[in-house]
Parts: sequence; C-alpha cells; structure tokens
Amino acid sequence: MSVKKISLKRELPTTTLSGFALSGLLVLTILNILLQNMPSKIQTAGDALLKLNATEGVANAVTTVVVFFRGFDTLGEIAVLFIASLGIGLMLHSNSKCNIKAESNFMLQTASKLLFPIILLFGTYVMIYGHLSPGGGFQGGVIIASGVLLLLISHKAFEVPHSVIVALETFAGVSYVLIGLIGLLVLDVFLGNFLPHDISQMGLLLSGGIIPLVYIIVGIKVGSEMSMIVQNLIQRDHDV
Amino acid sequence: MTGLIILVTFIGLVIVSLAAITQKKLADSIILFMGVGLGSVVLFFIFKAPDVALTEAVIGAGISSLIFLMALKHLGEQK
Repeated sequence: MSVKKISLKRELPTTTLSGFALSGLLVLTILNILLQNMPSKIQTAGDALLKLNATEGVANAVTTVVVFFRGFDTLGEIAVLFIASLGIGLMLHSNSKCNIKAESNFMLQTASKLLFPIILLFGTYVMIYGHLSPGGGFQGGVIIASGVLLLLISHKAFEVPHSVIVALETFAGVSYVLIGLIGLLVLDVFLGNFLPHDISQMGLLLSGGIIPLVYIIVGIKVGSEMSMIVQNLIQRDHDV
Repeated sequence: MTGLIILVTFIGLVIVSLAAITQKKLADSIILFMGVGLGSVVLFFIFKAPDVALTEAVIGAGISSLIFLMALKHLGEQK
C-alpha cells in the first residue's frame, strides 16, 4: 500500500492561526460565563426589575425599565441617533438651493393640510402619555417626523428651518444631561428620581417624577433628528 | 381563536418574506418588506408587547420603508 504524500506547500499564516486561537478563547470564556450564571441569576433578572417597578409609581413597566433602570443606555441610544443624523447631514447636505421638487398632486396638498395637525397631536399624545400607555419618546418623535415627511412631499416650498432644529436638539440634549446631573447631586445616582413619585399617584398624568419629563425630552430630540434626516434625504433626492 | 390567528399570521409572514426576497423589481420587494413589518406588528401585539408593536409599526413599517423608497428613487435615476 502506498501512502499518498500530501505536501504542505502553503502553510497557514500566523495571523490567521492567532485569529482562530483568539476567537476560540473568546467563545470558551463566554461559554464559561454563561454556564456559571445560567441557573438562577439570568432567569430572575426581569422579575426583579418588575418588582422594583412599583417603587417609581409608573403604570407602564416598560417605560420604567427604558427610562429609569436603563436611563444611561437611552442616553447612549440618543447619542447614536445624533451621530447617524450628523453623518447623513455631512454626506448629503448640499449648499446649492436649486432643489427642483416636482409639483405634487392637488389631492395630496389638501389632505396633508388636514392630516398634519392630527399627526402632530397624535405624536404629542404618544410622547406625553408614554408612562401610562404603550408608546413613548421614540415612537412619538418618529410619528412627528413622519408628519414632517408628508409636508415635505406635498409642499414644494416647505422646509424646516435649520435654526429651529438646532435649538430644539440642543435644548433636549442639554436638559437630559442636566436632569441626570441634578439626580447625581440630590440622590448620588445619575438620573436619580428626585421629583416626588408617590405610588398612590400611579396612573395620573403627573406621576412618576422625572420619567415623563425625560421621555418628553427624548421625544423632542428624536423628532428633530428624524425630521432633519428625512429633509436631507428628500432634498438630495430632488437635487440630482 | 388566538392560536389560529397566530398560526395564520405566522404562515403568512413566512410566505410574504419568501415573496419579498424573490421579487425581480426592488420596489415590489420594499412594499412586501413593509407587509412583513405589519405582520410582525400583529404578532407582537398578540404576544402582549404593545410597546414593541408600536415601535415596529412606526419605525419598521413606516419610516424605514419610506427611506428605502427614497434611496431606490435616487438609485433609479443613476441607472
């Protein structure tokens, strides 16, 4: 029997081997952590948060988790959205104001005049009642941005003024961090709930301390950023 | 009854997703993608996650599909 000789002409490069080794090490570490924490700690994380929810006096438990227990994450998400808006503005914004928008249909113009106040009202409702009913800042802000999109499509001369967007976005971002810092000063916790949040007030519009305030701020920021993204896309769309 | 709605929605979702990835025209594909978003809104709502359902309806089925359509229009002009 003749054994076929396999000649290893091309050896594996060391970078590939070390990459494989590093990935294997990472997988083993994650598996180890998962196996050690599997039985009790992971399964009860949600239950512990739900038990704590009643202490904040907010009817919608999801809002408590998103804005209060994970409030710092929400700040990071808003920063990510801001960076996305910044990138789209940098890449697509054009100084030449020669956007040739097509004249839209008469029906679309009339309907958008009727619909825009209703969309604005619904978005504001979703934003303000975020701590009582499903919804909140992100959803309400995007609803308002879709109303702006309707106006941008239907009206040729409509444009959201840049100064208004800058003012709203700056106000929202600064006041989010300020609320967090006041909580840090008063309660030694960033984004601590320093306003009165009695559990007997649960279900009222003025309840939950800073949580509705923070969600309204998130809504203003998301709404202005999404409006800017949509406006940049539309103008670029008609520019070329 | 709820189980039947879940089953029908789920099967419809799979069919619409398969149709969305096999379309020849990109515009049809985007419209079907919007349909996938709406189907998952129904599923989220049945599984008692109304917050996620609202987010999916507004962002997944609304704004992102419109942004896709705008990008498609922009691409179509360059072809």
